[in-house]
Amino acid sequence: MKFRVSLLLYSRQFGTLVGLLALSTVLWLLTPYFLTLSNLLNIAEQTAIIAIVAVGMTFVIITAGIDLSVGSVLALSGVIMASALHAGVPLPASLLAGSGAGLFCGLLNGLLVAQGRLPPFISTLGMMSVARGAALVFTEGRAISGFSESFRHFASGKILALPMPVVIMLTIYFIAHVVLTKTKLGRYAYAIGGNEEATVLSGVNVRLYKAVIYALCGLLSSIAAIILTARLNSAQPIAGIMYELDAIAATVIGGTSLMGGEGTIWGTLIGALIMGVLRNGLTLLGISSFVQQIAIGSVIILAVLADMMLKARNR
Amino acid sequence: MHTTIRNLWMTLIAGFALLVLMGCQRGNNPSADKPTVALVLKTLNNPFFMDMQKGAQEAAQKYGVRLLVQAAERELDVEKQMQIIETLIQGKVSALCVTPSGSKEIVPAIVKANRAAIPVLIVDTRVDSQTLREAGGKVEAFIGSDNFAGGRLAGEYLAKRLGQKGKAAILEGIPGHETGDSRLRGFKQALANYPDVQIVSSQTANWERDQGYNVFQNVLESHPDVQALFACSDLMALGAIEAIGAAGKTGKITVVGFDALPEAREAIQKGKMDATIAQFPIQMGAIAVENACRLLKGETVPRDISVKIQLVTRENAGSDLVSIH
Repeated sequence: MKFRVSLLLYSRQFGTLVGLLALSTVLWLLTPYFLTLSNLLNIAEQTAIIAIVAVGMTFVIITAGIDLSVGSVLALSGVIMASALHAGVPLPASLLAGSGAGLFCGLLNGLLVAQGRLPPFISTLGMMSVARGAALVFTEGRAISGFSESFRHFASGKILALPMPVVIMLTIYFIAHVVLTKTKLGRYAYAIGGNEEATVLSGVNVRLYKAVIYALCGLLSSIAAIILTARLNSAQPIAGIMYELDAIAATVIGGTSLMGGEGTIWGTLIGALIMGVLRNGLTLLGISSFVQQIAIGSVIILAVLADMMLKARNR
Repeated sequence: MHTTIRNLWMTLIAGFALLVLMGCQRGNNPSADKPTVALVLKTLNNPFFMDMQKGAQEAAQKYGVRLLVQAAERELDVEKQMQIIETLIQGKVSALCVTPSGSKEIVPAIVKANRAAIPVLIVDTRVDSQTLREAGGKVEAFIGSDNFAGGRLAGEYLAKRLGQKGKAAILEGIPGHETGDSRLRGFKQALANYPDVQIVSSQTANWERDQGYNVFQNVLESHPDVQALFACSDLMALGAIEAIGAAGKTGKITVVGFDALPEAREAIQKGKMDATIAQFPIQMGAIAVENACRLLKGETVPRDISVKIQLVTRENAGSDLVSIH
């Protein structure tokens, strides 16, 4: 039984990878600019922000939840961090302030879901509006721009030819993979998503773990905010609009079920990369953004359809 | 086994993607040896930028260059715009024309194009010059309407309509946006000559029509004696005239917009609005591509190219004079 489940997860991830490779092959045939080292690094760098947000989303969705507030929380923690930097607060403390804001919003989401028993859709929809409004009030609607070279290093720096955002993304994915597969938190996330009542009855403190998972999701949004702010050299209160949808898309393309209980971290990375590759390739081919939206939407639908067919077969 | 089924599906997905790509390839041959000029717009779901695209296409045909037009899905998504520019750099375009979605935020993308030795021309919205200087970025030319002069024109007209005396309100664009800020400064400078025209309210409606409605409805509540409105864009003005209509004050408040959208010109003809400032986006797009081509031939181009603007009132709202060229 256990063997069968792990094989299934493995194959699902593998299938998504095949999809990514097939897409890349098509693009390689169509444009000479696609398969170059610099373009591949470019794609990885562009995908990093959404991919990091999608890690938190994957955890939440595995518990059969959803977090619609990630984009707004990203904006709020970005402007708080930026204003701390502008006020002369040292870099580490500013990063802590931003991450603290993200963690706080996420924890609030978690408490509303776990303690308040609000549906995640509702509590995070509320948070989406509250955090966005707070970011706008905090900045009076203006962007905060111009940061030191050492801060901008988070976007423009390189480690062994790898852009810094990619290094941060990969590090987070490794950690998240370990947490999801090797720790109690990860195992309980699957259990809660699979059958919450059974998990409660087996003595797991479901409320605690739920709160922690939503808090983590907020924290990851604030880490994405660091990269975004460094990249644009500006923190905008209107940053991250619709990121929740991109993050959800990356997660479901990667094979995580919105019903909860299943999904993998690496699948999400591949899902995010599929969207990044698609956008990049279509832009290289000079295809308009209108058509790009159709292509991305179709991929989301087809990927999930493929998943459902597969599941039906296995029954 | 299920792996094979899954693979089959993924192949289908890839096949579909291929079809989409093929379908959109129509006459777009990237291997053609013509130089490629890219025009990166704020958005394509706004008539202003669609006109700009049209002008750019005409010029590209005239000068024999390939034109790529790209835009983010949402007007303010400067990060997506940056992604597009990064990707175009990878695609080795010869020149980049950009309408920045953020005056400061676009600077890192310009610097990346500079490093790839791709000339950058800025269209419509200026780049923040201080940010550009600090980043060591370089822009070859700016092509755009003189928004400041447009704001002044609006201010002069509004003051004249009020008989140089009365209460006026302003709907601003998103704070920190160079375009709106310039219009606002021009408007306020014009009004400085008319001390009896009092500005009772100046609030942002974030360039949006529905917010134009809501914000101006609140203004009407708090200042029922307001006699005139200057909205920094027609979209906000069109929202505001609905609020004026709902309050039963149509025709009693002088409304001046900016951009001369077809819908705004129609509203002027119907007497719901009084004036707007016309820009000429078709020319803007054409001049941008023309100058990009001149740069590619090694010619020098002026650093600052103003595209004309014009006051549109009931007298000329229906005429062709203000429509296209």
